Formats: sequence, C-alpha cells, structure tokens
Amino acid sequence: MRSTFRRSRPFARLTKALVFAVFASSLLGAGCKKESRWDQAAATTTSEARAEAREEAGLPPVAEVKQTKGAAFNTLFPGDGTDGYKRVFTQEKEGFAEAKLQKDGKDVATLSLSDAVNDDQAKNKFATATDKVDSYPLITVGKNQSALLVNGRYQVKVSSQSLDAAARKTLLSKFDLSGVARL
Amino acid sequence: MSKPLHELLQELPTTNVTTTVLKGLDYLVPGEWQNITSLEEMIKSVTGEEDQALIQQIGDRAVMLYNDSGQGYQRAVDIYQLVDHIGAGAGAASLAHQAGESFKILSFLDKVTPKPDTAQAVDAAVKFVAEMAAFCYSSGLPGDSVGDFAASLVNSAKEDSIRFAAWLSFDCIIPLGPDFLSALLGKVSEISEGELGENSRFAKIAEYLPGGLSEKKALVTSTLDASRGHIETFVADKGMSRESLIDRIKGYVDVADAKLDTVAAVLDLTTNYFEHTGIQSVARRLVSRAYGEI
Repeated sequence: MRSTFRRSRPFARLTKALVFAVFASSLLGAGCKKESRWDQAAATTTSEARAEAREEAGLPPVAEVKQTKGAAFNTLFPGDGTDGYKRVFTQEKEGFAEAKLQKDGKDVATLSLSDAVNDDQAKNKFATATDKVDSYPLITVGKNQSALLVNGRYQVKVSSQSLDAAARKTLLSKFDLSGVARL
Repeated sequence: MSKPLHELLQELPTTNVTTTVLKGLDYLVPGEWQNITSLEEMIKSVTGEEDQALIQQIGDRAVMLYNDSGQGYQRAVDIYQLVDHIGAGAGAASLAHQAGESFKILSFLDKVTPKPDTAQAVDAAVKFVAEMAAFCYSSGLPGDSVGDFAASLVNSAKEDSIRFAAWLSFDCIIPLGPDFLSALLGKVSEISEGELGENSRFAKIAEYLPGGLSEKKALVTSTLDASRGHIETFVADKGMSRESLIDRIKGYVDVADAKLDTVAAVLDLTTNYFEHTGIQSVARRLVSRAYGEI
C-alpha cells in the first residue's frame, strides 16, 4: 500500500497557530506597557535622585538641609497692585511659594521664590550669568522665565508667556530682595 | 502605591460624557479648559516652553514631586477621585456604560431616584469641602489669611475654573435653584456629629480638613462667606439660571420633559468631572512648581 503518510499540513498550521497564541498571550500576560520618557523619574523622588547623582559624580553623600518654609516668603513678593497687577497667592509648600499676577482678570505672570539649598543643579546654572539685579546673578531659562539667585541659595523667578525678558527683569526687582537675603 | 503622574493624565479619556458636558460649559469660562491628557502638553500649556531638554527636566521634577507622598499631591488626587466614586451606588457603572457621547437621558429616567433637596445640598457642600481639602493638600495654604485662600480659589483659571462652573451648574443651580448658597450655608451650619456618621460621603471628605467638627464647619462657612460675592457675581454676569442651563444642556443631551432633579441626578451618576479636572489641576500645579524650582 502506498504510504499515505505525508507531513500533515493542517497539523503544521495548528502548531504554528498554537505557538503564536502562546507567544501573544505571554506578551499580554506580561502587561506589555509602552515605555515612556517619564519612566525613570517615576521610579524615584527628588531627594533620592540627588543622592544618586552625587554618588555617580563620586561625591560624598550629604544630609539634606531643612528648607525655609514657604510662609516666610509671602511678604517678600511684590505687593498687590504693583504696576497695576492683581497678585493672587497660589501655592505655599516647604521651600516654595508662588503667586500669579493678573490684569483684567487674565493671568499675566507667575512669580516664585524657592529654597535651592539642596539643589546643586538649580544653583549651578547661575555660574554663567552675565547680567544681574542688584548684586544677584540673573539668567533666563528657556524662552519665558527669568531667574535670580540670592545669597547662593534662594531662587527668585518671574515666568510669563507674554512679558519679555526686560519686563520680567523689572518685576524681579520689585521683590524685597534684601528681605530674601536676610532669610 | 499611586500611579505615576504621567499615567494619571494619559488615562484620562479624550472624549466621553464628562468631556462632552464640560465642553458644553465652555461659554461660562471661554477657552479656559482644554482637555489636556499628556504631561508634555501640560508642560507646554503651563510654561510655553518648547525645548525638549527643558520639557524633560520640568516633567522629571513634576513626576518626582508627585511620587513623594509626603508632598500631599497624591492625597489631593485621592480626594478628587473619592468625591466621584463614593455614594455613586451600584447603578452608576451600568449607567456610565450606557452613556455615550450624546446620550439619551430618557432611557435613565426609570433607573434614577432624584435626591431630596437636603441631600443635594449636602452633596454640593461635599464637593466644596473636597475642593478646599484637595487645594490645601496640593497648594498648601497660600498667602497669610482665609481671604488669600478664598481669593486663590475664586481667581481660578483653566481646569479649576471649569470645575467651579460645573459645580455651580450641576451641583448647585440645577438641583437647588437660585437660593443654593443659602441652602449650602444652612446645611453646613446644621451638620452635627451624628450626621457626620450618617452621611458617610461628607464624613469621608471632611476628615481631610484640619481640626474637630466645629473647626471644620467654621473653615467651610468662612470660606463660603468669603467666596460669596464672587459666586453671586459670576452667576449674575453669566446669566446662570436653571432654565438657561437646561437650555444649553438640551443642545447635546436629549432631556425632553425630564424633571430638573432627575437631570441633576443622572448627570451626577454619569459624569466624573471632579476627578477628571481634579487630576489635571494637580498636574498643572506640579508643573508650575517644577518650573519654579529647577
């Protein structure tokens, strides 16, 4: 009898289908998640990231210094009504305070004061400053932000999508900078 | 462990019942709310910056700040989510499933029992308290007085302002009518220790405010009082009334002759505007802080 055995094509197809199904379900079972540009940050906090950066740079670890409370910053902002702006406080956290300036009910600028005592990266960016307000180094960050560093520790910033660098510099000078220096 | 900030934003729907009703309220706060569902878009909205290295730096800081539970931002998101999840009942999930982008409210009439006025007032108060509590956790207590605090609530923009408009529309004016403020203030002042236990929704939210019952009530009533002028002006300037709001809603939802309180109940069950815009508000505050700190 002629052999009827041949490589079983239906069986081969079934095997392929099974292999594919197992592979596909293992991907699904693994909860195949799209990678994101934020994944590294999502696995850490600011103080952990700083400690890691110091270790990578071969620097000894340092204990983080307690930041000045945001409440201490409020009286150092330009007063309500300065240059015709309404000032509305919006945030007050450990080491950070923020207010917005409004004209005709619309937000014009964001003012902030923060304690960068533990943040070398924030402080180091002022090393290349070529401008100043009073005696404090002034830089621009990106397109829309101007920043001062007072006493090598406190960042004073004005951010605005409508005011130019000159107008932002004027607003920076309206902070009580000597008060900031006394913090 | 909370989801990371960027995932919370990414998981917000780009279109659903909630976004449809919120877009319907745009006329109250024109152009303020854009349904931002990515961290990069939020950074661009807050800062106007386009340099990708700077965007990365800002986003990394915002994500890390959110990750630190001691900063309070996760608690704020918990509160926004709690308001929309508790008290919704078993019917909510099936109703939400049935509701599409332009849903027919008539199909829900026999499934919804409208709440009595007192319960409506408590629910409106719950949301006001939740907003204060979430604000405290995410923004601290900005400024140096209740006045500054109320000012920052009422001078809101973007997601905060659409949430405020939605609260006024769906939780205050439609269910309670033009005298909603008196109903709210009256209800809050009446709340007793016993009631805190009975109305678990209020109790769950109120525990996020500082102090004992009398301190909590005092904080809520003084903030409502301080906000009163702004609320009344807003309602008057925009011509907000039950009739005008229902007219607008008819533009995108078939309400036919449904009673006002049924409309209010169905909207309450099928939308989660507090959670949706609350997550966006927290993200915006984080991005603003990150931009200020880097």
